[in-house]
Amino acid sequence: MRIKKTLAGAALATLALTTLAACGSDSDSDGDNSGDSAPKAADIRVWLNGADTPQEARDWLKKTFEDQNPGSTLTIEEQEWDGLVERLTTALSSDSETPDVVEIGNTQAPTFTSAGAFSPMTDQLDELGGDDLLQGFVDGATIDGETYAVPYYAGSKYIFYRKDLLEKAGLEVPTTMDEFVDAAVALKQDNPKPANFSGFWFPGQDWRNGAAFIWDAGGDLAVESDGEWTGSLSSAESVAGLERAQQLFLEASGAPKDGNEADPWTPFCAGEVGMMSTPGWVKGLIEDPETGCPDTFAKEIGVFALPGSDGAPAPVLLGGSDIAIAAKSANQELAQKAVALMLSEEYQTILAENGLTPALNSLAPLLGDDEFAQATIAAASNAKLTPAAPGWATVEGSRVLEDLFSALAQGGDPAELAADADEQMNGQLNG
Amino acid sequence: MTDTAPRPRRSPLPYALLVPAVAALVLALGYPLVRQVVLSFQEFGLAQQFGRPPEWVGLDNYKALITDDYLWVVTLRSIVFCLVNAVLTMVIGVGLALLMRQMSKGVRILVQTGLLLAWAMPIVASLTVWQWLFDTNYGVINYLLTQAGLDFEGHSWLLRPLSFFFVATVIIVWMSVPFVAFTVYAALTQVSDDLIEAAEIDGAGPTARLRHIIFPTIKPVLMVVGILQVIWDLRVFSQIYILQKAGGSTHDTNLLGTYIYRLGIGTGEFGMAAAVAIFMLVLTVALTSPYLRVMLKQEKEQD
Amino acid sequence: MARAPRRSLRITANALGVVAFVLAIFPVYWMVNSSFLPRNKIRNPVPTWVPLGGDLDNYRTVFEGDQFLNAMKMSLIVTICTVLVALAFAFVAAVALSRFRFRGRMSFIVTLLVIQMIPVEGLFISQYKMLEAMDLLNTVIGLTLLYVALVLPFTVWTLRGFVSGVPYELEEAAMMDGCSRVQAFFRVTFPLLAPGLVATGVFGFIQAWNEFTLALVVMTKEDKETLPLWLTTFADVNRGTDWGGIMAGSTLIAVPVIIFFLVVQGRMVGGLTSGAVKG
Repeated sequence: MRIKKTLAGAALATLALTTLAACGSDSDSDGDNSGDSAPKAADIRVWLNGADTPQEARDWLKKTFEDQNPGSTLTIEEQEWDGLVERLTTALSSDSETPDVVEIGNTQAPTFTSAGAFSPMTDQLDELGGDDLLQGFVDGATIDGETYAVPYYAGSKYIFYRKDLLEKAGLEVPTTMDEFVDAAVALKQDNPKPANFSGFWFPGQDWRNGAAFIWDAGGDLAVESDGEWTGSLSSAESVAGLERAQQLFLEASGAPKDGNEADPWTPFCAGEVGMMSTPGWVKGLIEDPETGCPDTFAKEIGVFALPGSDGAPAPVLLGGSDIAIAAKSANQELAQKAVALMLSEEYQTILAENGLTPALNSLAPLLGDDEFAQATIAAASNAKLTPAAPGWATVEGSRVLEDLFSALAQGGDPAELAADADEQMNGQLNG
Repeated sequence: MTDTAPRPRRSPLPYALLVPAVAALVLALGYPLVRQVVLSFQEFGLAQQFGRPPEWVGLDNYKALITDDYLWVVTLRSIVFCLVNAVLTMVIGVGLALLMRQMSKGVRILVQTGLLLAWAMPIVASLTVWQWLFDTNYGVINYLLTQAGLDFEGHSWLLRPLSFFFVATVIIVWMSVPFVAFTVYAALTQVSDDLIEAAEIDGAGPTARLRHIIFPTIKPVLMVVGILQVIWDLRVFSQIYILQKAGGSTHDTNLLGTYIYRLGIGTGEFGMAAAVAIFMLVLTVALTSPYLRVMLKQEKEQD
Repeated sequence: MARAPRRSLRITANALGVVAFVLAIFPVYWMVNSSFLPRNKIRNPVPTWVPLGGDLDNYRTVFEGDQFLNAMKMSLIVTICTVLVALAFAFVAAVALSRFRFRGRMSFIVTLLVIQMIPVEGLFISQYKMLEAMDLLNTVIGLTLLYVALVLPFTVWTLRGFVSGVPYELEEAAMMDGCSRVQAFFRVTFPLLAPGLVATGVFGFIQAWNEFTLALVVMTKEDKETLPLWLTTFADVNRGTDWGGIMAGSTLIAVPVIIFFLVVQGRMVGGLTSGAVKG
């Protein structure tokens, strides 16, 4: 018995040592965020996503904030879009680990605002820019009269086209939706090789570009009445828009019927694309010798904003980011000051000069006046957001729209498919 | 059995030896598991996550689940998919292990190296590469088949659910075979050569040798490995999730793993997701219960 | 005459072996191949089979800044801690389960199996709350605790087989020769268990090395991120994914696993046997 005990004791001791010695080396818990709400000196943690915010803006923000708030510091912690929702879901619920200010995708924002993850900013709105702020973003983050997030920057997709191919087919740059669809079909017919050539590159899952056709036809993804959201894909107008999208899928696109819209520069540089709708930054990748084709097709790029049926820019989906203050942040006042700096003219100017549509309408001209800047401004001028329904994230999460558009691309009946999609969405939209 | 360990005695020692493992499990999983069960009886969404008090809804989550026709479609699909994948993985893994005994040393080392590298490849990379290989326009597989004169130009492998699951099966089997092959091969090295030679002299053919000598010896290993395959393949998530992003119809290709995700994290309905998770646990226990019974019987015999 | 079927069997086995090798290795080869190519060659209508004319640019990207080495260090610490702790805990538990008969033994074994079956996808939110209460977020200890729980059931289960695979008579015989009980255990039984510890260690190593979701929510500070988290920095939806960087990074991530493997592989094959047979 004794031996056995000794043995067990030895084993336990060894293992205790292993645990402690090997893993006890780190224990930094910065528990300095005391609960006092007085604008006491603190470290403000700002979560920015990906590499979108230019270094110049980050440096300016940190320096200016620390100059204006002596004793306080500002730390930018870069987050990845991949896994952002999981991180926000956990971190924003924690008193000790929550960041103070977060950037969030504008379509992700409504879910978190309706859940109470952010502090209201309604009182601050005027000093942050008021009517000069991109209104769609503000509306998207407003619930029952309270606004919980403000725009950070925006970006809309516009059309890239091959000048040489348009010329070869004898086409002009389209100025209305009808002309656009005709041009796309004509380009496809004019280029029988390669077999997967696209007059308009339109992969099956790409509902984000597809939404423009629904809105242009006067339809909508979902509508609200008496506080109840319902899917409206099967309204007559929406179906007309879906039919137009289907025409493009079937007669103009050579993209995979079930593919997604990632890496559009790959088919473009393979000479398989006449026109495509992409974000402006794709230009940089097409012109980069490592990723694109600077010596060939990149020289033929032209751009325009997708025209609507009335000749004005079509309502395309507005992408971009919101900025919000974590409800659990212990430093509300300092966080507000940081947000004010991020919406200041100086900061937004840096964003605009780097090609991001600024959060303040009045700064849009800073984007420049070449054709790319003009297309950016024009596309954003009539852009729309996804419905501000509390359950919209559920709709995106279950990929109803990807399935719908992919089925359209395969030649399904638009009215029938739209009715099915509406039925699915009705169970999800109201959270 | 050679298992003649110290006979039963009233001693606190074995319990003391279990303390670290139990403590670690209770510490890391105790609260989360209890909370998971509690959540499944609550209406718990993102708003509750950020502080709104949750509402008790009794069995509503379960009721909603059971009356959801789609869940049963997904469940059935998952069971079939799981069994097909587990069986294929086992057949190929065990087959490879048996073959490895017959190979020349050089070839065997080659095969082991290949399996090793496949096992060590990070999941992100292997999922990406497989996606590229099956890509509609730029995939190597379509390229080769087209070069061979077949009409595979622009063929979408993910478009039809059956073809989608074929691709998923290829990837999952490729990822799981190394573990099975290595383990079973290790077990095979325990089969006594003397016995096999004796059987050979007695005129037993390869099939007879396999059935009467080899399989009885490695049966316990096969059971352990097999049960793990069933557990893992029923839960499969990443492979399906990534492939759904690449193509195909999400609604027609959801398995329980992706469905839970879309009910829970994807959409913030944590109460519902907890109910599905418990449903899945029950399902796994039910699916593996024949195995469990055999294994427990063996245990009892040892006692 | 008896030789003929054996030879044809060997030839068939060798041929199938080569096929298996090619199938197993091709995706790995494709990863390494891509890691030397510029992005516009990785996805291209005409595949590039051999990275001729490729360069080390992607690897240069990987080593830009100290993030990669930092993450490598963090991953190594967490993974090695997980493996050591899990093995130590599992080892004593396995001794208890196979060298003793006591009440609750069977229920413990069954519980371990059931834990193995719990879908873990939804658990991370509760686990986050728990670590928050323990003040263990962003710490190696916190993440290690979760990983230990992740691999422990499998490890106990398998190690138990290894321990009971060593006949108790061997120890008794050694004691007859004058060894003390402890000496007998460490001189006779323990060496026979080493391969088992190694085999289960490999499994735990790969599990912890590749884990993503728990690391994502627990390790939110940049200097705490593990390799799978670091890898996502190449996938920027607003800038296009840097596939070359992902492939170069993945190739490098696989290297420690392969080293760990090669160091222990010889023992592992023997090790898996004795444990699994009893499992």
